[in-house]
Amino acid sequence: MATLSINRIRKSYGALDVLHGIDVDLEDGGFLVLLGPSGCGKSTLLNIIAGLDEPSAGDIAIAGRSVTALPPKDRNIAMVFQSYALYPTMSVERNIGFGLEMRGVPEQQRKAEIRKAAEMLQIGHLLDRLPANLSGGQRQRVAMGRAIVRNPDLFLFDEPLSNLDAKLRVEMRTEIKRLHERLGTSIVYVTHDQIEAMTLATKVAVMKGGYVQQLADPRTIYERPANMFVAGFIGSPAMNFIRGKLLSDSAGARFTSEGVIVSLGGPGGANGTRECVLGVRPEELKVVEMEDASLEGVIDVVEPTGPDTMVTAIVGNQAVIARAEPRFQGRRGDQIRFRVDPSSINLFDAKTEARIDVGDASLIRPIHENGFS
Amino acid sequence: MRRDHMKSVLPRGPITLLGNLSETRYWVYLLLFPSLILLLLVVAYPTLYGFVISVREMRLTRPGLNGWVGMKHYVAMMSDRVFWISLKNTAIWVTAAIAIEVTLGFVAAVALNRNLPGTKLFGVLILLPYFLPNVVAGHMWALLLDPRLGVINDLLVRIGILSTYKAWFADPATALAATILVEAWHGFPFFALLFLAGLKGIPEDLYKAAAVDGAGPVRQFRLITVPMLKTVIAAAVILRVISLVNSPDLLLVLTGGGPGNATQVLSLYAFQTAYREFNFGYAGALSVVMFILLMLFATIYIRLTHVTKE
Repeated sequence: MATLSINRIRKSYGALDVLHGIDVDLEDGGFLVLLGPSGCGKSTLLNIIAGLDEPSAGDIAIAGRSVTALPPKDRNIAMVFQSYALYPTMSVERNIGFGLEMRGVPEQQRKAEIRKAAEMLQIGHLLDRLPANLSGGQRQRVAMGRAIVRNPDLFLFDEPLSNLDAKLRVEMRTEIKRLHERLGTSIVYVTHDQIEAMTLATKVAVMKGGYVQQLADPRTIYERPANMFVAGFIGSPAMNFIRGKLLSDSAGARFTSEGVIVSLGGPGGANGTRECVLGVRPEELKVVEMEDASLEGVIDVVEPTGPDTMVTAIVGNQAVIARAEPRFQGRRGDQIRFRVDPSSINLFDAKTEARIDVGDASLIRPIHENGFS
Repeated sequence: MRRDHMKSVLPRGPITLLGNLSETRYWVYLLLFPSLILLLLVVAYPTLYGFVISVREMRLTRPGLNGWVGMKHYVAMMSDRVFWISLKNTAIWVTAAIAIEVTLGFVAAVALNRNLPGTKLFGVLILLPYFLPNVVAGHMWALLLDPRLGVINDLLVRIGILSTYKAWFADPATALAATILVEAWHGFPFFALLFLAGLKGIPEDLYKAAAVDGAGPVRQFRLITVPMLKTVIAAAVILRVISLVNSPDLLLVLTGGGPGNATQVLSLYAFQTAYREFNFGYAGALSVVMFILLMLFATIYIRLTHVTKE
């Protein structure tokens, strides 16, 4: 168990900057997920933590000890690869014990450790097989066994579930979570799957273009995304974005767009307007009858999924999607109204796409500074 | 309407008939037929004929001697001094050449696999010797090592390694070694090419995993690269041994088996027996012995390397 600190890590290949000064700290026993679309630099960062790639600048410290100058084998880490990277010519047993073998652990002890890890992962009966004779899920377990048996300071997972089918992926996700809770070892986990990030992480670093867009616990990332990229990347279906204006006058602050009025309360007084984007999660759009509706539109598509019914509606000229109750009865072309709890919404600046904190004084201040009122 | 029209016309065309045939199980035999005929004519028949003449007398210089002689040639071979020298030389020649070629080929393949700037050009340059016909390569090296004009002699004298020009192929002490080096130069690109293809098939992640697991470059090579290339190595060595044992051309050009019998090998001895002495019966017997030795080698080698297991 150990802490990890990533300090001002930069990486460039020639003129191409891949990472622009990454700062992330992970607490002892934490689970850090590096989340982002392909090409965001998350795998490069993981390789730098592992020592498989050299940073152009910056420092990596594991358990308070700078490891930047150390080769991978001296960092006391274990890694699970997307391709599993099992040695095809070695038995499962030798694969799992390879790290111990390389470190000169005596055979007796090695066998015991392998046995223990294999039991934990329920692959005890596969030890004599070659990787080629295993299913995808079994290979995944062997790869994890190889990491566990080392008892490292830090586990590194590089998109470990991407090559599994959907059902197995969910099972293994649970397994990884269980394993983390049981072993308590710090983990860095790279994925582009936001559900894996939400379910597993104690801390998520959402990355894009070589920058960390937001570093926070999953709940904060979900409820208070730092910008429109994070808001749109997390959640399925994605957060609704409605372009409109933020108005502020003596009656208070409110967001308006065609067919939309959301009263934000807040301090009145300072008058002004600001172009902005309202972000609201599908489950926060409550279908209501006439009373206190914030959005008004026409139903476009109704998609029952079982536990919910997804309703796409056209509000003004913008499409929004709402998670309605399973027995929702509306049909295409019907009028529909939604209520939005002001505390559940997110506001983003239309130009910078950065979050505007509702109820915060900064909501109004830029309007003053820009000379409105 | 149009579809119906086409349907009624198409089945009559020869291409369509062929197409229909390709859906049946006879198709596979039809495709194998041409190469089967070719194999029977130019491989199976001559091989069988070779076995037959090895137990017959057949000398163009003495046409009268003709007919079945049984094991006579094989018995004669046992007391033929040149046969035993050739056998020994063949073993040395093949073993030494393969050892050098595998080593050079591996080094070249590992270097070419690095994908550094310039490796593409090097890849082509390294393959050049292999593209040269053996006879051309032989004449080129004969000239390079020529006792009077050879540039290599000149260089060695200038550096101070040699005091005078040396007739490399005329000295029994150096003739075999010199021809082995020429053969190795000619043959190593074959190994480089196959090893490079094999190396490209090893996933990069395996080396990353091994680095994290604590294996250094030497153990990565021994525990990952070599086992992963085992099949390729085995196949390449077998193919190369067969071609080395069977091809007398380079030696024919460089030394003709001399001086004395210093560079005499089985294939060259069989060739000369057949086409210098016109003693086809004995040459046939020599070839049969080579054939059996190669079969034995291939069988034992495949057993030892366990390649068929995977």
